[in-house]
Amino acid sequence: MQIMSHRLRRVARHAADAVPALLLTAMFLAFIVQVFMRYVLNQPVGWTVEICVMAWIWIILWGQSVSARETDEIRFDIVYAGVRLQTKRVFRILFSACLVAIYAIALPATWDYVSFMRIEKTSYLDIRYNWVFSIFVVFLIASILRYGWIFWTALRGIDTTEEVDPLAVSRKDFSE
Amino acid sequence: QDRPVLRLSSVVSDTDIRATAFQEIADAVAEQIDLQVYNGATLVPQGSEITAIQRGNLEMGIVPPQDIANQIPEWSILTAAYVLQDVDHLKAVFDGDVGAQLNAMAEEIGLHIITPVYFGTRQVNLAPETEVMTPEDLSGVTLRMPGGDAWQFLGTAIGASPTPLAYSEVYTALQTGAIDGQDNPLPNDYNMKFYEVTSQIVLTGHLVGFDVLTIGSEVWNSMTPEQQELLQTASEEAIAKSTQAHLDREAELVQFFKDEGLKVYEPDREAFRTFAQAKYLESDFAASWPDGMLDAINALGTPSN
Amino acid sequence: MTWEFGLTISAIVLTALLGLPIGHAMIGASLFYLLLVGSDMGIAAEQILRGLYGSYVLLAIPLFIFAADLMNVGSLSDRLLDFCRALVGRFRGGLGHVNVVSSLIFSGMSGSAIADAVGMGRIIINLMTKDGKYPAAYAGAITAASAIIGPIIPPSIPMVLYALVSDTSIGFLFLGGVAPGLILGLLLMVMNAIQARRYGFPVEAPVPMRELPRVTLRAVPALLMPVILLVGIYGGITTPTEAAALAALYAFVVSTVFYRSVSLRLAYETVRQSARSTASVGILIAGALVFNYVVTIERVPNSIRTVMEGYDLGLYGFLLFVNVFLLLLGCLLEANAILLVIVPIFLPTAMALGVDPVHFGVIVVVNTMIGLATPPYGLLLFVVSGLTKSPIGQTVRHLMPFLGIMIVGLGIITFVPGIVLWLPRLYGYAN
Ligand code: NA
Ligand code: NA
Repeated sequence: MQIMSHRLRRVARHAADAVPALLLTAMFLAFIVQVFMRYVLNQPVGWTVEICVMAWIWIILWGQSVSARETDEIRFDIVYAGVRLQTKRVFRILFSACLVAIYAIALPATWDYVSFMRIEKTSYLDIRYNWVFSIFVVFLIASILRYGWIFWTALRGIDTTEEVDPLAVSRKDFSE
Repeated sequence: QDRPVLRLSSVVSDTDIRATAFQEIADAVAEQIDLQVYNGATLVPQGSEITAIQRGNLEMGIVPPQDIANQIPEWSILTAAYVLQDVDHLKAVFDGDVGAQLNAMAEEIGLHIITPVYFGTRQVNLAPETEVMTPEDLSGVTLRMPGGDAWQFLGTAIGASPTPLAYSEVYTALQTGAIDGQDNPLPNDYNMKFYEVTSQIVLTGHLVGFDVLTIGSEVWNSMTPEQQELLQTASEEAIAKSTQAHLDREAELVQFFKDEGLKVYEPDREAFRTFAQAKYLESDFAASWPDGMLDAINALGTPSN
Repeated sequence: MTWEFGLTISAIVLTALLGLPIGHAMIGASLFYLLLVGSDMGIAAEQILRGLYGSYVLLAIPLFIFAADLMNVGSLSDRLLDFCRALVGRFRGGLGHVNVVSSLIFSGMSGSAIADAVGMGRIIINLMTKDGKYPAAYAGAITAASAIIGPIIPPSIPMVLYALVSDTSIGFLFLGGVAPGLILGLLLMVMNAIQARRYGFPVEAPVPMRELPRVTLRAVPALLMPVILLVGIYGGITTPTEAAALAALYAFVVSTVFYRSVSLRLAYETVRQSARSTASVGILIAGALVFNYVVTIERVPNSIRTVMEGYDLGLYGFLLFVNVFLLLLGCLLEANAILLVIVPIFLPTAMALGVDPVHFGVIVVVNTMIGLATPPYGLLLFVVSGLTKSPIGQTVRHLMPFLGIMIVGLGIITFVPGIVLWLPRLYGYAN
């Protein structure tokens, strides 16, 4: 039973990770097609841009909610990293409670905006914007669940902070 | 009586002629209306002015007809090449039955149109020196057009190969030859210094560039008749001045570009016009145009030879 | 400034200090602001979604990350290092010079300082500390210092972010970074030479000259990368964004087909990693988009401009002020946040004073990149200390002279705009 659930979690984790990976691949290929069509065939296309921006939004919001790991997240850990485990638990309880509360309050209005955007379609692929933007609702819900979990475990005293490997830390932000 | 707060979102920069006009409107109505101008798309992301107004998060916007056409396909008639001939024609269309018809459609989605805001007529600006007289001469020419399929189709409709590209990258792309040309009103060519990296401006005049000054219908209806009257008059006056300023600027820039060593000339516009209208009429865009509207618009213009 | 805004700022600072990831802190606090002032909370989603949807230039970021990742897993880095050893390894403190020069070349392919430090850094730190030739902390310090140059020489992710907030051409920004990057590299090598004499660092056995052609040949695919990028962008083939895709394609082909060091499985692993990095920087951009909306509503840039004009600092006074302010902020804040949130507040004043937007962009990028290595909060510090397994304090001690000379370099770049602008101008930039 335990093994099953463990395996299930691994599969789920892989599937969650595969989404942004595939989207990034799609973005990469779309750009190559775009350059090829314009420079080599002299027949520029525009739909590639649309695929790329959609992929970009989904990579970010999916990647930072559904498939996020705590070690991937950029935090200002001057204080957080230095405090004792007990204090850290209190910190976790506080920040997760704040986040869950505000995201939950924002959920109805966000839903309202996203479903309102049904009114317009994307330019080339004619996809209704409520579908494109639905990822923001996913983002809020997944974040509420994740931080709800953090809140719960911190409250119960279970240590879920992931082992911090210095290279993992260095990996988290290649943008600088 | 309350002094309503109206936030106006525009994408133009603070130094633009139109920004001056917006400020003039704000000053003129100040006694009765608190009109706050946000230029540079700082208040609402570019392209979401309409939905922001519809959702009650914005009162006024400078809205491109292309964006309105996203929700009202009939509006795309004003975004097609060679439908509007010049500023006077634009004004006549909005003042007449066609304008009333289009404005009524806008009211249905919660937008009240105050007045069109002219910002220049789009001309083709090319790096290669080959002379362009007909649409056939643009065949295979990579022309940067704004993103979106309506804009891209405009490029196709004048015979070029359109490609989308961020506005801030156009200069470099012209210089390196990544694109052969771009289309914009002359003041834009000047502001972005495109004349430094191109050899000619073909005065195709394929699109009369304008936005519409728009206010949310509910906001409009909640104002007193005096306030409405005041805002309407102030807007028309300020925009009329801004329109004249744009026309003067365009005229003086033709000479400037010639002095800079560019070839500036008019092609066979009739050939372009015929080619473009044929392209549009066989496209999906024309399918959404109300019956008889094209004729009604044409009737308001100068009869074409 | 309203009390609602004050509360919002406090909420960001407080939750961030408690350890809430910065992106969530900015989004959460902005939602809190909307709630306080009674606005539609859906505005947050609108600002983020439409903002991300409309900023086409940002698409370069994931692709530059992907390209750098591919280069790091391939063996391009090793070959590049061999080449640099043959080139500058023969002098006193040679491996220090190798460190700097390899960074300069690597920075022509990667847009990120962290990628540079992790990719090249790991290998060269091993080389430098083997047999106790250099103190580990020194190796870490010079790695961090030279990694700063990564995003100053094109391509550059921070410059893409600056282009986003300032509407400046990426092409010209990239060109503007070339000369400052090389000058900073030179300054680091001077400092390394001084330190090498001071600490008596060893001289390496020189790589025989007859080896040079072979070593060079092995490194050619890696050396070609910057060339491809430059030809792509300035040869009229691609836009800067597309060039990022071309760079990734090149790195992919070289490491899979040519060097055969990357299997398909590893390639997937790399894409997955790149997507993760993309998401973690993307959420910061998202947070900045909605927080910038709050800042606009509160008319903060206008107020700052009024205050600054009141002090009548003049052009150079303003630049000095901005530099000192950003350097201090860089000790505490993360670089993306500075570029996306703080810099836009100063932009209207800078433009009003007639500061060239490309010049200003290069200044703030150099400044925030130095901030990556200034204690107490500097990602580069954490990275190299992790790599060398030496305490941060020791790394900082060895880093100080390098930081000092970089700040001198920053001063030169700030007050001699010609250094930044001559190359863009040579290429037709006309401001
Ligand atoms: Na770089
Ligand atoms: Na280095």
